[in-house]
Amino acid sequence: MTAIPGMRDLAHRLLTYEAGLGKSSESMESPATRVYEKLRQSLGEFVGVAGFYSLATRALTLSRPEVPSLIAVRVAADGSLRGLGEIENQFDIDKDQAGEGGIVLIARLLGLLRIFLGEALTLSLLRNAWPGAAFDDQNSALGRKA
Amino acid sequence: MSTQDKVKINKLPTGVPGLDEIVGGGLPEFSFNIIAGAPGSGKTTLAHQFVFANASSERPALYFTVLGESAIKMLRYQQQYTFFDPARLPGSIRFINLSQVVLEQNLGAVLEEITKEVEKTNPAVVVVDSFRTMVRKQESDMDLQSFIQRLALFLASWQATTFLIGEYAEDELRDNPIFTVADGLLWLRQTAERNSIVRKLQIVKLRGQDSVPGLHTFRITEAGVQAFSRTFGLTARKRNPPSDRRLSFGIAELDKMLGGGVREGDSVLVAGSSGTGKSVLATQFIAEGIRQGEPGIVAVFEERPQAYAERAASLGLDLETPQKDGKLTILYLRPLDLSVDETMHSILDAVQKIGAKRLVIDSLAGFEMALSPGFRADFRESLYRMIFALTGIGVTILSTVEVDESFTEFTFSTYSVSFLTDDIIRLRYVSIDGQLRKVMVVIKMRGGNHAKDIREYEITSKGVVILGKRLANYQGLISGIPVHSDRPDLTEAPSLDTGIEHKT
Repeated sequence: MTAIPGMRDLAHRLLTYEAGLGKSSESMESPATRVYEKLRQSLGEFVGVAGFYSLATRALTLSRPEVPSLIAVRVAADGSLRGLGEIENQFDIDKDQAGEGGIVLIARLLGLLRIFLGEALTLSLLRNAWPGAAFDDQNSALGRKA
Repeated sequence: MSTQDKVKINKLPTGVPGLDEIVGGGLPEFSFNIIAGAPGSGKTTLAHQFVFANASSERPALYFTVLGESAIKMLRYQQQYTFFDPARLPGSIRFINLSQVVLEQNLGAVLEEITKEVEKTNPAVVVVDSFRTMVRKQESDMDLQSFIQRLALFLASWQATTFLIGEYAEDELRDNPIFTVADGLLWLRQTAERNSIVRKLQIVKLRGQDSVPGLHTFRITEAGVQAFSRTFGLTARKRNPPSDRRLSFGIAELDKMLGGGVREGDSVLVAGSSGTGKSVLATQFIAEGIRQGEPGIVAVFEERPQAYAERAASLGLDLETPQKDGKLTILYLRPLDLSVDETMHSILDAVQKIGAKRLVIDSLAGFEMALSPGFRADFRESLYRMIFALTGIGVTILSTVEVDESFTEFTFSTYSVSFLTDDIIRLRYVSIDGQLRKVMVVIKMRGGNHAKDIREYEITSKGVVILGKRLANYQGLISGIPVHSDRPDLTEAPSLDTGIEHKT
């Protein structure tokens, strides 16, 4: 089972956007971790810690068949992610492979949001979490103007 | 103190069709309200409608969810309603989950969390859903009272209109400290009556507002909660003074029997057994109104509008053109599980939409049968309220009712609704000279004189046609089995009643 069409592209764009922000802020965390954390903050506010934990564990489980290395990643009780940085560092030589786990995980999480909340509400939440990012790319499933 | 010195309480739209009228024009700004009721009664949906009607990016709404329905599922379901605009989240409407605080800490921590968010956001509306789940924790009554008191005080000071949503049973209404603090208490009920669910809401309490007392039917549709005021939203409208104007049936002889026609604003009952021409008479009444420039509504329950119009066409009456011109609406109402109030609101909406002056309800029996059994108990009361409201604004109503024919008695209506009517026209079969013929008589006219004559009539291709003079040579016509009398007919003109009412 692969991610919902369009989610991967959206996840990739979010990671790219965060990578751009990371360069200026000299953040030590990977773009995938920062995207995940922003989603955790944004979603956690209304679904609660337990609600976000449930979504994150489901997304992680769905991601593992696509990226087996994610078996080493865990969702902590507070919803934070443990181990993603480590597996990304293991793929120092192949940067594309290193980012794959993060992209798939974020895509799965966004896919769950889309399933439960629908496209319009998911986009509203993303716009709130990334006020500077553009989500109106006509080519993206979740990128059309809501 | 003059009126100018008094504080003006702004009324906020509830976002619930029909509810503003029930609460007296809207909910008071900065009020502290409780929406109570059983699970599934529509509390959350009602609160969402209020939130979407009042939140803005400048003064957003804070929607605190506690234990109970998960926020993600709540949003999943709530966005199915047409009022739900996802683009307004989270800018104008923020959902904040307090489950963790409630589970791990105490009411003080909950208050602290709410306070923090309110100070940060400056909301116009605050909702705590479900408030009741917080209360079930082992807190003392004093803790709870203190919490409510402080919450109400804080939120009012911060100029927020607040809703606490809670699952409450009827017997919890008394001696509840929470209800004492609240400015408004909206109680939603749903009960199963036979095979139908009956939903009703009550404004148990609303400080500073002249709300409409009693139980009001409501329905949850794809548009959310819709309420139907017991007064049909017509309380604010002045009753027209009684009119002397007479409305014609388009049947000259019948108009004469009625002393010149039906008085404008009257409620007329046409009673008779099957096939006596009640619907034909009603159709002629509405068609004549349209001919005279008076828009009309026909509410039918036993045939579809197309069939109704076709039957009228067979009598030479064109009901198609006025429908296209917006002068006539034929409502086909087979609500099945609708309440009588909802059905009557449909009629009222149609009346107000085209400015109808004449309304035909064909028939009362069909109307009642179309209602779900649980609502039939309210039928006559609601009908009375609707007739009172509509005639008060000058609409003339003609209702038909089927009467079981008996050859031993002459009932005016088996329906016990004759008290609702100003005028009664009775149609019946009689056996004369080996034929089953039809006669009509005006039983009652509240507003004036009417003929006492019993007149024979026929239904022809031109509708109801009254034949000749009164049937003077028969005794016992109203029994249906008259006896021929040799007394000569001396009366030329219809004799008029003196206005004395008959017992109905």
